Amino acid sequence: MDTFTWKRKNLLGIEELSCIEITQILDLAKQFKKEMECDNLEKDYLRGKRIVNLFMEPSTRTRIAFEVAAKSLHADVITVAEQSSSLTKGESLCDTAKNIQALGADAIVLRHSSPGSPLFLSRIVDVPIINAGDGAHEHPSQALLDLYTLQDRLGTVEGKKITILGDILFSRVARSNFWALSKMGAKVTLAGPSTLVPKQFESMGAKVCHNLKEALQGADAVMLLRIQHERQSSSHFPSLAEYTAIFGLNKDRQKWLKKGALILHPGPVNRGVELDSELADSSQSVILDQVSNGIAVRMAILYLCTYKQGVRNSL
Amino acid sequence: MTITCLHGGRIVDPANEINEIKDLYFEKNKIISKPPSTSKNKIKKIDVNGKIVLPGLVDLRTHLKNITSGQSENILSGTRAAAAGGYTTILLMPDILPRADNPGTIQFIQDRILKHACVKVLLCGCLTKDAKGESLAPLGSLKEIGVAAISDCPRTTQNNQIFTKGVEYASMFDLLVIDLPRDISLSRNGSAHDGPLALKMGLGGYPRMAEELYVQRAISISKSVKTKIHLTSISSHGSVEMIRAAKEKGILISADVTPHHLSLNEDCITEFNPNFKMSPPIREEIDRNALVEGLLDGTIDCVSTAHEPFQEHEKNMEYDLSPPGVIGLETALSACYQNLKGCKEFSWLKLIDSMSYNAAKILEINSGTLSVGTNADIVIFDPELKWKYNNKNRLSLAANTPFENREFKGKVEKTFVDGKLAFGILD
Repeated sequence: MDTFTWKRKNLLGIEELSCIEITQILDLAKQFKKEMECDNLEKDYLRGKRIVNLFMEPSTRTRIAFEVAAKSLHADVITVAEQSSSLTKGESLCDTAKNIQALGADAIVLRHSSPGSPLFLSRIVDVPIINAGDGAHEHPSQALLDLYTLQDRLGTVEGKKITILGDILFSRVARSNFWALSKMGAKVTLAGPSTLVPKQFESMGAKVCHNLKEALQGADAVMLLRIQHERQSSSHFPSLAEYTAIFGLNKDRQKWLKKGALILHPGPVNRGVELDSELADSSQSVILDQVSNGIAVRMAILYLCTYKQGVRNSL
Repeated sequence: MTITCLHGGRIVDPANEINEIKDLYFEKNKIISKPPSTSKNKIKKIDVNGKIVLPGLVDLRTHLKNITSGQSENILSGTRAAAAGGYTTILLMPDILPRADNPGTIQFIQDRILKHACVKVLLCGCLTKDAKGESLAPLGSLKEIGVAAISDCPRTTQNNQIFTKGVEYASMFDLLVIDLPRDISLSRNGSAHDGPLALKMGLGGYPRMAEELYVQRAISISKSVKTKIHLTSISSHGSVEMIRAAKEKGILISADVTPHHLSLNEDCITEFNPNFKMSPPIREEIDRNALVEGLLDGTIDCVSTAHEPFQEHEKNMEYDLSPPGVIGLETALSACYQNLKGCKEFSWLKLIDSMSYNAAKILEINSGTLSVGTNADIVIFDPELKWKYNNKNRLSLAANTPFENREFKGKVEKTFVDGKLAFGILD
């Protein structure tokens, strides 16, 4: 493998990454995945490292994937969830993080509802901070595993039409994916109801579309996002039934996509709302590939951000 | 009896339209005319050559919060910060603990002011009980105990019926109502200007519309009740246009803007630094330009600091969870001078009018002037002095400033309140 030029201590978002950095992460992930499949992973890269998963919001996939990734590299993993931490006793995030550092953490993986909170933590503690989702801002590891999955299936995303459909406004996945895909040369369309997909996204360079047929036509892949009905159903759209009627992806509408187009979803899926159950389990769905690719991608992230730089620059 | 002579400075006195180099005299607490050469009184000369001599500044929006525990600010620290910024009169907003919605609390605060204040502190009472916007506070009794104005700031009464009746009722006592124009339903989760930047950063937006709807509300009510309403902390270019049009029709609306909104645009929040988070938020450059233009053409009457102190641990947290508000008393004049002096329409008279005399007129107090016979509230400003605002020179107990370590050219050198030195050193 080529010598790495990775210089970052933190992974805060995709917006700040270059194409070269994105490619470095994915190349390394590919290598990890291959080694895992052949069962010959050199296992001790992170031996003796203490990775703390600080999860201030509920999470299944991301939390477990980071745990599995860290353990695969033989790191010690400690997961702190909000309910079990002193944050419920009124301790601030700032103090919690300082304590975690004092307890010997070598890296903190943070999931938090506040946009910018990983950047905030990175100014307070010295250890690497890996953003596992900050409010509606960024979810870099998700975007990287999505990109990995797309590249794996499509070869490249350059020039491909990728549609992200659903609640874009409140979605960190949509934002990080937009940055990752557009940096790698894909044509990204953001689609959904006008209240959840404001036209102002065009200022980031995205195509915004409120007509489902137009959004899906000729797409090489469609990425569906969960409708967070607990959050917006009263003010941003009339009802889940109406959402499904106008924007749900079903067998009929699948025909608008390019033949063989991939269906992605970061999970959790609301079956029968944004995505027909049958499609979720179809051969074009890569939803479970996304999840398993997430392990290799997160191994690469942990390795790059926490492995002592300068000691070993290549695998 | 000693007379003080400020010698050789440029006098800027908008009330008398004076902008010229001449001497200013004061004796005890009053400004006096030049004593005859035959006078036997001893004259103490202070050389202020190259400096600007101004009437003391008047702030229409100062928050000191929990003045009794005094951890983020107390009356002493707050008024020392005011004096350091050239303010000789401040209007204290009612969001103090306990809240200023009854005569007893007002009396309590007045007693504290008597003991600790080094500048003049006027009190603003609540419009509604506990500033909850549900029922009117006893405005008549508040007036009798001595409040200078009425407001729920930093809250905004959402119920139009209660607000209208409050304005109407207050007008009976000639009480000025100050309103922070904000529709809560449109801005509840808004921690940044609602635009492409907030969208990119994943922050909840506080749209211009949330302000403009309530600017229009104030204009309509002022027109209908035929009474003054003062709008504080205007931030949107649309608001400036609406106020300009209302004034042209003779509606009794007045407005202020903060030094921060005149100096910054939304790009300041890209690092999620909560010291740039305020309510209303800093908006786009088009808004900043309209605010500057509006101030210089008189559409916006005055500058208010919206000084709002927080302790480090209260403010320095996740951006969206951090409370809005920044301190501003000590940097207001320097920031305004620095950001406005390059404008074609800038003049010292306009700037000082907006920071002193106009604010005094809105409050209907005899201040903001260097007229003979008025109180000797005087500021000496050195327009050439370069300085940085930081922990080394800060008098406020709070540090939540957007201007930390910002270099300014121009600084308040001395502040006299009633002829007594409240800030600076006498040679």
